[in-house]
Amino acid sequence: MNTVEVLLVLVGIPLAVIVVLALLTLPGGRKRTRYKPGQPWDHAPVWYEPHPEGGSSGGHGAGPGSGAAAMGGGTTAALGSSMYPEQPEERNTDTSSGGGNGTAHGAGSSAHGAGSSAHGAGSSAHGATSAAMRPVDAGPLGGARGTW
Amino acid sequence: MTRALEVESHDTATDQTGPSRTDEGAPDAIFTFQELARLDEALTMSSRETGLRFTLYIGDLGPRTRVQAEELHARSGHHPIDAVLIAVSPGQKVVEVVTGAGAARRLPDRACALAVLSMTTSFASGDLVGGIVNGLRQLSDQAGHPATLRH
Repeated sequence: MNTVEVLLVLVGIPLAVIVVLALLTLPGGRKRTRYKPGQPWDHAPVWYEPHPEGGSSGGHGAGPGSGAAAMGGGTTAALGSSMYPEQPEERNTDTSSGGGNGTAHGAGSSAHGAGSSAHGAGSSAHGATSAAMRPVDAGPLGGARGTW
Repeated sequence: MTRALEVESHDTATDQTGPSRTDEGAPDAIFTFQELARLDEALTMSSRETGLRFTLYIGDLGPRTRVQAEELHARSGHHPIDAVLIAVSPGQKVVEVVTGAGAARRLPDRACALAVLSMTTSFASGDLVGGIVNGLRQLSDQAGHPATLRH
């Protein structure tokens, strides 16, 4: 074995293995940066909701608005989700039918401004939006607060 | 990804017509679809288990976070008495849990504080979705299954 062969075996093969592993593990085109504590949060506010049970019960009534609702979304986004199939009531995307089908919590009128309407399109399940929800008094509130 | 219509379309849109889905830009993606699915399932399942209505707000809460969160809670549905709002403001590094009067009976403040503590632990390490899902799990475990929903 001459010097060239020794170099090929002892240097070339390990380097090839390293390159292959690096290509497999290093994320290539990761566009979304992960949240890191302390960095500013410049996304529009979002409000995620549970799906209505059976499409009928729950304080929210049935409607196109199940799943997550974008704060300022004025558009009807995709219906249903892969996990919870479309409810029959979700078909009805007419926002003028009934007052209970809106999930836009203060769409546009809330104090933190409207999010972009395209925002809701990214979530797996989300709702259409209609009139702003009227505030209802919920009695003495409880809860907790935390910082990190 | 190819667009739905690459060709020139002869649409019938007027000035009042909103933009079509293909004209919208890429959505402002906070989470991946996998993360969204986890959030979706956690919210839906904890709400169904407990009969309470868990909603999750992620965004800025203004200078008075508690007041803002309670305002949001009041708007969280037609029946906020049994609603629980988890408001996360990653920019301000604040999480607020607001429970209505009915929900507070099953979710005492102590239980909320414990869930908040576990959430903030995850948030501090940068895991927003994991913290939220774990917090929801703790809250729904604490609230339990109401007798009216028992079958």
